[in-house]
Amino acid sequence: MSLSFHLKKHFHSFSIDIGFSTEENMSVLFGPSGAGKSLLLNLLSGIVKPDQGFVRIEEREVFNSETGINVPIRDRHIGYLFQDYALFPHMTVFENIAYGINHLPKNKIKTKVEELLDLMRLGGLEHRFPKELSGGQKQRAALARTLAAEPRILLLDEPFSALDYQVREKLRADLLMIHQRYPITTLFVTHDLEETFVMGENIAIINNGRLEQFGAREEVFYKPKTKNVAKFLGARNIFTGRVVSLVGTTAVIENPEIGEVKALIHPEEVELSLGQKITFGIRPEEIMVIRPDKPIDKKVQDNILDGEILTTLGKGASHTVYFKVKDRDATLKIEIPNFAYRKLKLHKGKIITISLKKESVWIISERQAMGER
Amino acid sequence: MIDLFPLYLTLKVSIVATFFSVFIGLGLAWLMARKEFVGKGFLDALVMQPLVIPPTVLGYYLLVLLGRSSPLGRFLEETLGITLVFTWKGAVIATFVASLPLFVRPARAAIEGVDKNLENAARLLGKNEWDVLKTITIPLAWRGIVAGSIMAFARATGEFGATLMVAGNIPGMTQTLSIAIYDAVQMGNTNLANLLVGIITLFSFSVIYFVNRFTKGRY
Repeated sequence: MSLSFHLKKHFHSFSIDIGFSTEENMSVLFGPSGAGKSLLLNLLSGIVKPDQGFVRIEEREVFNSETGINVPIRDRHIGYLFQDYALFPHMTVFENIAYGINHLPKNKIKTKVEELLDLMRLGGLEHRFPKELSGGQKQRAALARTLAAEPRILLLDEPFSALDYQVREKLRADLLMIHQRYPITTLFVTHDLEETFVMGENIAIINNGRLEQFGAREEVFYKPKTKNVAKFLGARNIFTGRVVSLVGTTAVIENPEIGEVKALIHPEEVELSLGQKITFGIRPEEIMVIRPDKPIDKKVQDNILDGEILTTLGKGASHTVYFKVKDRDATLKIEIPNFAYRKLKLHKGKIITISLKKESVWIISERQAMGER
Repeated sequence: MIDLFPLYLTLKVSIVATFFSVFIGLGLAWLMARKEFVGKGFLDALVMQPLVIPPTVLGYYLLVLLGRSSPLGRFLEETLGITLVFTWKGAVIATFVASLPLFVRPARAAIEGVDKNLENAARLLGKNEWDVLKTITIPLAWRGIVAGSIMAFARATGEFGATLMVAGNIPGMTQTLSIAIYDAVQMGNTNLANLLVGIITLFSFSVIYFVNRFTKGRY
């Protein structure tokens, strides 16, 4: 099912104005707390009435402020998984899952509920009440209840935020598996960056009630359109500079803190002119540390910088290295996998050489950057 | 031989009045808890009036409203053939109005205490408002509704002032238990007064006891 919408709602101190279209896949709505992500789900499902706009599922409009269409919640066939799961506390797991299909014949209900119990690894728990379940089990029971009603659209509001890390990882895998089996158009709200990357085929970046960017995962992560998107997605190396040369698809940017940086540009995406002020950056994990014992690979021969490691920070599977460019002011954040960190024998104070691959350097022209605030 | 009519009448009036309180009161409680409308504050104040207004004043209002000289009283008597004043039906009306707020208050609080997302979850699963009320709101507000019914019933069995004003004190017709106790004391019939007081005390006590046991800790 395709979903397209544009919705507006005004409150005293907050307003929301967001629209996009998506097909049968998983779109992650990512943004800081209070950005309006959950409100958007409430507007889509009809729990909160929008001031203006439309919602179209496939070819059918379920809301349109101009023609006065406002289909009641019960007829929208939208599945909604609440952050706190909203399981009915006075019903067993079986009764909860069967709730949306209890108009069907008894044997059909039983078959369907049993299939979902099996799929959600809830076998043997069907006679328990929600308060007798663990967080992860509650979450799976709530998802089973939603899927039983065969929704056309699935809305998930931070479904894993209340769970521990290990449970969360397992449930993410479950959800992706289920999504493959029941490919329902899904909107997944989260403020967790890792989750955004793992779950999202498409990513919508939402900030302050507005859509900053919507697109395929790689596009949004590696070609952020606004400074905010870059910031939210964990790009820490953000600088401003001036275009000093444009030859073919390569732009040279002059910045006093780093020096000259070459960037690969797609003229159809970013319009640049000589002397123009721009914002540019590179994701910490895209910076390469060059091995001194090997000749420099052709791919990384642009933007070679010498400098010193100011400090290092180990965290889980990688190390964060803060690098100061020699004779300049810029400090770059570099993310290095642990094996590379050990192999290169990196430590505080070590003098190293790094490369900013020119295809990894992203550019936002100031005109776009101005549009954000 | 002791006349048990006052006990029988009190039970009859209280049960019928409580029945009305629960049905009408549930609708009112739901409206107040879940809907916003013009005049909500006024309606709330009106329903709660019997808690603060003297019962005799309440009875006087009802007498004026339902008596033969009022349009409503005349309509009921001439068109429908129902006489309320100085009948047991009048006692039911007085008792109902007096006990309604004792039901509405806890019932409203219980409905307000039901997580709105549970109701929304039911709507999202395709249920209409009536289904939501029947399968989610009422079952989850059950304890408050039962507590309210008991409070209303207890208030009904003890109703005195408003009933006396509307239905009078006619032995064998409108004389309820509390009125009979008053009567017995006035006549100096201490034995009868003690017996009736004993009955009503035992009754009230056991109702509250069993209700507490029944509504204790579910979910």
